[in-house]
Amino acid sequence: MTEKTKNSHTDKNKIIDGYISYILETGSEPVSVFKFTKDMKMKEAVFYEYFSSFGAVKKAVWELIFDNTIQALESQEIYQSYTSREKLLGFLFTWIEELKNKRSYLLAVYGNVSLKNQSYPSELKGFKAKFKDFASGIVNEGKESEEIAERPYLTDKYQEAMWLQVMFVFRFWLKDDSPAFEKTDAAIEKSVNLAFDLMGRSAIDSFVDFAKFLFQSK
Amino acid sequence: MTNKINEQQSIPVSKVQRAAKFISTGAKVGGNYMKHYAKKVVNPAMTKDELHRNNATDIYDSLSELKGSALKVAQMMAMDKNMLPGAYQDKFTMAQYSAPPLSYPLVVKTFNQYFKKGPENLFDTFTTSAANAASIGQVHKATKGDKVFAVKIQYPGVGSSVKSDLKLVKPFALRLLNMNERELDNYMEEVEEKLLEETDYKLEVIRSKEISQACSHIKGLNFPKYYEEMSSARVITMDWMEGKHLKEWLQTNPSQEARDKVGQIMWDFYDHQVHQLKQVHADPHPGNFIIQEGDELAVIDFGCVKVIPEEFYSGYFSLIKKDLLIKEDELDQIFYDLEFISDRDSAEEKNYFKNTFKEMISLLGKPFHVDTFDFADDNYFQMIFALGDKISNDKMFRKSKQARGSRHGLYINRTYFGLYNLLNQLQANIKTTKPDWIKN
Ligand SMILES: Nc1ncnc2c1ncn2[C@@H]1O[C@H](COP(=O)(O)OP(=O)(O)OP(=O)(O)O)[C@@H](O)[C@H]1O
Ligand SMILES: [Mg+2]
Repeated sequence: MTEKTKNSHTDKNKIIDGYISYILETGSEPVSVFKFTKDMKMKEAVFYEYFSSFGAVKKAVWELIFDNTIQALESQEIYQSYTSREKLLGFLFTWIEELKNKRSYLLAVYGNVSLKNQSYPSELKGFKAKFKDFASGIVNEGKESEEIAERPYLTDKYQEAMWLQVMFVFRFWLKDDSPAFEKTDAAIEKSVNLAFDLMGRSAIDSFVDFAKFLFQSK
Repeated sequence: MTNKINEQQSIPVSKVQRAAKFISTGAKVGGNYMKHYAKKVVNPAMTKDELHRNNATDIYDSLSELKGSALKVAQMMAMDKNMLPGAYQDKFTMAQYSAPPLSYPLVVKTFNQYFKKGPENLFDTFTTSAANAASIGQVHKATKGDKVFAVKIQYPGVGSSVKSDLKLVKPFALRLLNMNERELDNYMEEVEEKLLEETDYKLEVIRSKEISQACSHIKGLNFPKYYEEMSSARVITMDWMEGKHLKEWLQTNPSQEARDKVGQIMWDFYDHQVHQLKQVHADPHPGNFIIQEGDELAVIDFGCVKVIPEEFYSGYFSLIKKDLLIKEDELDQIFYDLEFISDRDSAEEKNYFKNTFKEMISLLGKPFHVDTFDFADDNYFQMIFALGDKISNDKMFRKSKQARGSRHGLYINRTYFGLYNLLNQLQANIKTTKPDWIKN
């Protein structure tokens, strides 16, 4: 690592950490970048080197959590031998652990946001893109191993479905008051199993297949 | 379809979903009764057996999806009602073996949570899929050095959902088991306490150690060793007990001698616990025993232990004596103490319930009245079922606004009924030992 990138890492992380502490201590956003950097004893320009706004910092928090998750996941030897279903499970369990480190911050920012339907806060965009990338890897593997059934039109939507699931898990976890968030674990387990059962080859596929056969051989 | 995964659809654990399950079972079961009566009009000869079988299937179908404490409670209440017709009984035992598995990533996560290490770091080998299902978790097989372990891991969130699960069992119990509301509430408190204990694996390790030590003198009886340093609130590590489950073992056509031997060990085990230790492994179902080489018996799973209070003990077992030589007023006192009758009962009610309970207890006490008892005698079990059926359809009981029978009786009845049932499956002839004070 060169001196420059090392520095930039620390500055970038310093801003992120500073922002999180600010939210935790005051419960609201800093009034301006000027005020924020002044409190941090940092030049305002340094902030703009990495971020265009506070929104961009919030975005970076999500991406950081994602990157840490993937790193932790891939450091587990067993991960490579997981099936697609297990990879998604592994991702969610590890992700929740990462979220835990920032729970107070996340509660402060998202505790009262509805997070329903398509109206996700814009700072989730980067995380969403990264996750969907990851998810499409899982879907492709799943198709190869036939854990996931190839279905015209629908298959393309699977990444999106997994994303909705990630958001569901996040909402569930924010509201979870069980010890050690055990209920979130159960929620993850059950929802992923359902999703994969739905994506897997099922009676419906056989039915469609059979119906097609009957239709064509008329 | 798949891109609309919303929480209500995707989490069977959610309240709504569970409630819906029970209601749909309730409705289906109701439907079966309707069918039964409709058929009965056409064909008066139709037996209740077919009806019971249909019900059992429906209950079983929805319960096996639920797992967790709801499953346990329903199972147990069904057992307690003794009283279950054979068709139910079988289905419920089956439910033991059919819980949806924990994924391996969740197993890893659970290990990390408690030991800060994954299973592959704690053991030399660890099966990624479960070797056996349990009602609130699953069992993996692991090795380290030349030791083989059974590692039981609990499903997350079971403990915290006990309360809400129990609420959901209520309509089910009222409807299917013909319990009255008071009786149910009385049971529920006891059951809740026990279930919470069952989800506490730390406590299970402590009790396992205690009881296995206190019973170590019984010949042919084996217990796994428990490893505290590899156990936690939701993980138990113990020795792997090699052997066969009861059903498997019976398929090997064991000799009468072997069956008597295994049955006798079982009897001795319970005799010692109830009468000497006054605390008992209160979950005698086939999944909790393993039959080993040389027809020895291994006991696993001390999740459910009932401590028997002294007053209850003396009252309950004095009723089991063959000839009730006790004077009428002493007997009344016992019935009061065991909460079979109370001051709120009319004289007629008192008399009625006393007689019914006497009948019941003398029936359950039958094996105690002789030196050896042949549990292969199916007639005896038919009599128990018939009496159970009679009680659960009895007008006086259903009208009664009170709970009948001390809450402690719930687990003690369950224990004896479970034990008798196992001995019946073994077709064993047993020397029914008992403490001197019970002998006539
Ligand atoms: N020490 C062991 N050695 C071998 N097999 C074991 C051992 N412990 C458990 N098992 C297997 O796992 C199954 C479930 O274990 P256990 O009865 O302890 O679970 P449980 O959750 O308490 O279930 P339940 O309450 O329904 O009895 C057993 O029936 C048995 O087949
Ligand atoms: Mg068991």
